[in-house]
Amino acid sequence: MQREKQLNARLLVTALIIAALLFGAGLVAGFTISRERVSDLEEDVRDVIRDVQNFQLQFLFFDVLGDNATCPLLADTILSINQKSFQISEKLAVFESGSEIKDEATYTTLKQDYSRLLIGYWLLANKLQQACHSDVKTVIYFYENTCDLCADQAFVLNYLKQEYPDTVLIFTLDGRLEEASVKTIKEYYHVDSFPTLIIDGVPYPGFQSLETLKETIGLE
Amino acid sequence: MSPLFVILNYTAWFIFVYIAVVWLLVLLQRRPELYDRPDEPTPLPGVTVLIPAYNEEHHLADTIRSVLSLDYPKKSLSVIVINDCSTDTTGKIAEEFVKTGRVTVLHNKTNKGKAASLNYGIEQVTTELLVCIDADSTVDSKALRVMVGHFRDSTVGSVTPALNVMNKKNLLEKIQHAEYILNAFMRKMLAFLDAVHVTPGVFSVYRTDAIRKIGGFAEHNLTEDMEIALRLHDNGYKITNEFSACSYTVCPSRWSELFRQRIRWYRGAIRNSIQYRRMFFNPRYGNLGMFMMPLNFLSILAVFGLLGTLLWNITTDSIQAIWHLSLVNWDIWNMLFNPNLELMLFSLYSTPLLFGALGVGLAAYLLRTSFHITNKRQLVSRPIYLIYLVLFPLILMVFWAVALMLELLRAPARW
Repeated sequence: MQREKQLNARLLVTALIIAALLFGAGLVAGFTISRERVSDLEEDVRDVIRDVQNFQLQFLFFDVLGDNATCPLLADTILSINQKSFQISEKLAVFESGSEIKDEATYTTLKQDYSRLLIGYWLLANKLQQACHSDVKTVIYFYENTCDLCADQAFVLNYLKQEYPDTVLIFTLDGRLEEASVKTIKEYYHVDSFPTLIIDGVPYPGFQSLETLKETIGLE
Repeated sequence: MSPLFVILNYTAWFIFVYIAVVWLLVLLQRRPELYDRPDEPTPLPGVTVLIPAYNEEHHLADTIRSVLSLDYPKKSLSVIVINDCSTDTTGKIAEEFVKTGRVTVLHNKTNKGKAASLNYGIEQVTTELLVCIDADSTVDSKALRVMVGHFRDSTVGSVTPALNVMNKKNLLEKIQHAEYILNAFMRKMLAFLDAVHVTPGVFSVYRTDAIRKIGGFAEHNLTEDMEIALRLHDNGYKITNEFSACSYTVCPSRWSELFRQRIRWYRGAIRNSIQYRRMFFNPRYGNLGMFMMPLNFLSILAVFGLLGTLLWNITTDSIQAIWHLSLVNWDIWNMLFNPNLELMLFSLYSTPLLFGALGVGLAAYLLRTSFHITNKRQLVSRPIYLIYLVLFPLILMVFWAVALMLELLRAPARW
């Protein structure tokens, strides 16, 4: 009994086309989600930029109100900025490690803007340390995407931040980013390996454990 | 995330979406015919029901009674029980029914296995149609009458029923209840495509001539019900499905039983696929060769890929989490009580998860459609079935992985 076996070629091909369309729609939706996450981050960054500008402005108070009045104000502001900027760093880390299609150009611009923001903020924090003799400690953390110990270092720093939210300011910079200010600091401190930490202006290449950090920073 | 995982992820979802779309297109196209049934032939053809039995003293009587109660002219319906050298009272119980005048009992001198027992029974069959049913199963009284009409088409070699589970008490049984309902739906869709690849050994009706012509059941096969279906197709026969014919089988109530059952099924499927590999992407075999068999195979691979990468990620993430905890003096307290909710929400809002959600959504829709079409009751609340849709396939994939490994290692197989 030989007869042609039923083959609904048209149905199978139509299904293929519909599946491809659905799938394409999914990818487009994914891309849109990705873009939204980036603009969400961009807004956060703009928020912090405003705060930092506010902070800069507050430095002018020194001339009018003097050290005693201005320093507490500045100390407060710098802490609230740090909380927000740290959240952005974490979101960026999540976004970077995610497995989706990213709009490279927008994302790189975001990172550049953000890095400049952090550096400006770091400079102001240094000024604050000098002018107000505050016990705020600054830690610049240079990382790169492919370095083995960076995830560990980030985790330890995160923990440190949660333990000492009012004392430690952490600035996370992508060491491979094409950005003038980042490069300047890298060259100044001779940063050539990752992770490298710059703690209160002193470079510490290689992974720093929790204990070492606490000692170096002079905590507890 | 490595590009390999991304590609695997997206390919897997594409395969599932494709299969689901095919089902839904077939449903859309053939919905009016869903409950159609060919007219009953007059006179009704003779039917012999074969019941191979091995140590089924608890169930056999119910099975025989259920068959004898079929709404079918008594002179046209007979039963042959093949006692496969049982060590309990199965043989005696079968003999009890001989006095009804409609039951014959054959005894194997040694345990030969289900297929060989069936073939022994087939030697005695003189009717136009024969039916195979397991000794622990039952059948609706109306089932046979609605199935025989299909054979008026001389190209039909077999008709499959809508298979259900009998026991629905514990969670595992309820999950299988849902699974069988989904399978009943898929079998109907496959029947519309003439790509039914298994004739379940629980009340599938066969044309006696066809079975004889192609040489009976394969005797050293783990899943002879799949093998005979493929062989029927190979010999040009059609296999249809009668939606309104319900049969009921006992399903495993414990995970260990399920494991054993599925390992046998999957190893059998692997062997049969290899044996009939010439059907893959062969237009001569129509929808079976171009769609059913290749996509079945690809979907297994896809879930393997997904499961593999998922497990890999979970393992590496767990190892990293433990390592990280060690760096901060095991201060779990801190981690547990300072969860960063905003960050968690942010990381959930991502493409792979979107595809995952779409995939599960599609599957949930198919499951709901199956329930709706078969008019069966949902036994547990919907969220539990959603868990079934996600976790059960993952568990079955682990079984597939074991089955594949056992096949590759050429481990001996048991029924």
